[in-house]
Amino acid sequence: MVEHVIELKNVTKTFKNFSIDSLDLKVKQGFITGFIGANGAGKSTTIKMLMNLLKPDSGEVKMFGLDYKTHEKEIKERIGFVYDRNVFYEGLNLKDIKRVVGPAYKRWDDDLFHHYVDQFELPLNKPIKTFSKGMQMKASLAIALSHQAELIIMDEPTAGLDPVFKRDLLDLLQEIMVEGNRTIFFSTHHTSDLDRIADYITFLQSGELVFNQSIHELSDTFGLVKGKTELLDRDTKQAFIHLRKTNAGFEALTSDIKQVKQIFGESVLIENPSLEDIMYYVKRGSRE
Amino acid sequence: MINLIRRDAIIQKMLLLGFIPFVAFFIIMDSHPALTVLVACIYIPFNAFSYDEKAETNILLNSLPYTRTEIIAARYLGSIVYAVISIGIVTIAFLMFNVSFSLTDMAIGVSLFLVFSGLAFPLYYIIKQGYITTVIMIVFILSVGFLPPFLSFLADHFDEITAWIFQFSEPTLYISAAILSLIIYMISWSVTTFIYQRKAF
Repeated sequence: MVEHVIELKNVTKTFKNFSIDSLDLKVKQGFITGFIGANGAGKSTTIKMLMNLLKPDSGEVKMFGLDYKTHEKEIKERIGFVYDRNVFYEGLNLKDIKRVVGPAYKRWDDDLFHHYVDQFELPLNKPIKTFSKGMQMKASLAIALSHQAELIIMDEPTAGLDPVFKRDLLDLLQEIMVEGNRTIFFSTHHTSDLDRIADYITFLQSGELVFNQSIHELSDTFGLVKGKTELLDRDTKQAFIHLRKTNAGFEALTSDIKQVKQIFGESVLIENPSLEDIMYYVKRGSRE
Repeated sequence: MINLIRRDAIIQKMLLLGFIPFVAFFIIMDSHPALTVLVACIYIPFNAFSYDEKAETNILLNSLPYTRTEIIAARYLGSIVYAVISIGIVTIAFLMFNVSFSLTDMAIGVSLFLVFSGLAFPLYYIIKQGYITTVIMIVFILSVGFLPPFLSFLADHFDEITAWIFQFSEPTLYISAAILSLIIYMISWSVTTFIYQRKAF
């Protein structure tokens, strides 16, 4: 059993006005990894490379320790995918889509599919284009879960979902993790999704990996520091990734809590930042 | 592979109902049997492209456990499978409508289908989505509209060519034409595979 279901080594992909530069990324087997980053950070490009829809200019993409060149079918047999838009023939109903997609998989399980169709309350005889965004997503998910996929890759599955639907989905993802040693890798820019369910967070910014850590490590690494503006000078500012002045004083993100404690002692308050805080400050910090 | 070929029939379920009236129309309009065979052969493969040119379809197919080589092979082999079925239906229709036709007509129709598909299929993977149908229509009109007059022009004006061609027996001619169109189809197949391997979705 491989430890990492996804392994990118030195992956580079260049477009006209955007590039991913020597990206190294490992995704642990058996966990939920949230893939975050601002719009245009390269999340979709990365996911496309994971699915072999896009080939890197250089570097290596390994899934389950296998290479796409020699094991394309074996790899895809083991992946369930959910994209941010409907990729199924929109004029077809779910029954026909099942007839098209099901036979593609060796391990397709019709009973399991119908179990999910019932659970998600999906109509089998209505064209998929009449489905709401949430229903389309559930339909994709039902298909992704019906062939015993070991890895579920999802690109922005929560985009455009109402809050109730979103919660249902997140609960469901947790549910499917209970059975066996599945891995879920999903991109989102709603970080609140991840606070609830993710074990690991991968943060991509402008095509570069900022971090890839467990959610517990994150709270040990980053600190949200609050204090009075008088404490700040050119030297003390160095301890922060980015700093924001508020009416009450300042608020700043640090990746070195120890150093901050040494500099400011008890005069500042150090809190656990939310993922959103981390994303915000890192993004702002990189512009300076 | 068979699943990929079967897919066209599932997707086109409704369109397939239009197949019989479509063929009947050409027969009633008293079209040349070869032309009727040609349009019947291209009906399913070219309808399939109206789905397959969509970006979403390519994302779907390439996310499923298929290789790109298989996806293209299914397109080329599937077209032949559907052409064979179509010819069967057309033959029955000819017999029902009492249309006189020869094996030669069939051979010409099939050869034209192979040549036209061979020329058109790669275009679907080269030209940007949205422009394709227009281009294919033009290719079709050009190849059907201009090829026969062009050939008879050649026949009228180039006695040497005509003489050279007619030194062969009729079966030899048709067999060579059939082989030539098959070769075009095979070349087209490998060109399309080459292009498709390099596409990004």
